[in-house]
Amino acid sequence: MTTITAQSTQVYQVYIRAGAEEIWEAICKPEFTERYFHGARVENTPKLHTVIGTDDSDWGSAATFEFDPPRRLVHGWRSAYDPELAAEEESRVTWEIEPKEGGYCLLTVVHDRLEGAPKTAESVSGAGWMFVLSGLKTLLETGQPLAG
Amino acid sequence: MEDDDLVFKALADPTRRHLLDRLFERDGRTLSELEEDVEMTRFGVMKHLRVLEEAGLVVSRRSGREKHHFLNPVPIRLIHDRWIDKYTESRVSALSELKTQLEGR
Repeated sequence: MTTITAQSTQVYQVYIRAGAEEIWEAICKPEFTERYFHGARVENTPKLHTVIGTDDSDWGSAATFEFDPPRRLVHGWRSAYDPELAAEEESRVTWEIEPKEGGYCLLTVVHDRLEGAPKTAESVSGAGWMFVLSGLKTLLETGQPLAG
Repeated sequence: MEDDDLVFKALADPTRRHLLDRLFERDGRTLSELEEDVEMTRFGVMKHLRVLEEAGLVVSRRSGREKHHFLNPVPIRLIHDRWIDKYTESRVSALSELKTQLEGR
């Protein structure tokens, strides 16, 4: 069996039929994130990226590096939700919202600086971010969370 | 929405699937790196990359003077979500694992 090492820079893109402000809110406010981000209550403010898990513990709060509503958000990522991953180095997540014609926005998520966090890279790659992004898309377009 | 059409059209070509395989092995490659093992002109590779980018399967990001290409798996996931729900997923993944094992990959 071939083992493929997860990438230290991962890029995900999805078109969402929603306005930039709506998408920004859905990323930054806990009442939205708990419906698509594995139940986590995420709050993004100009200084802090706070993540409260379903067990009320800290799942990986970190600093906010850039906060430019409703276009660009950059914050740290720590995998505090898993004891094995928690020991790894902090990585970084960038969200970019680009309005397109016809009521769509292109949302780009870049998860990088994962060189010191190979297990985190593995756990977020592929299904990890895709689950979150397809859940976010479904929530914004239908008002319903993705089943599961 | 014709997004799915773009994805299927992009995947219906062996060279483009090969480019995606190369990015799956290692993401963030430049055009020159992607050209290396393809029997094709630079222009040909660029044309295929453009089809992949239009379908959203490849995202390119500039870093300094270099342009890096990344595999974006989200459109394939969305096609997956459309026909495979959470109940069938575990059965399907068990079968695809069996296939992978039997084929010795």
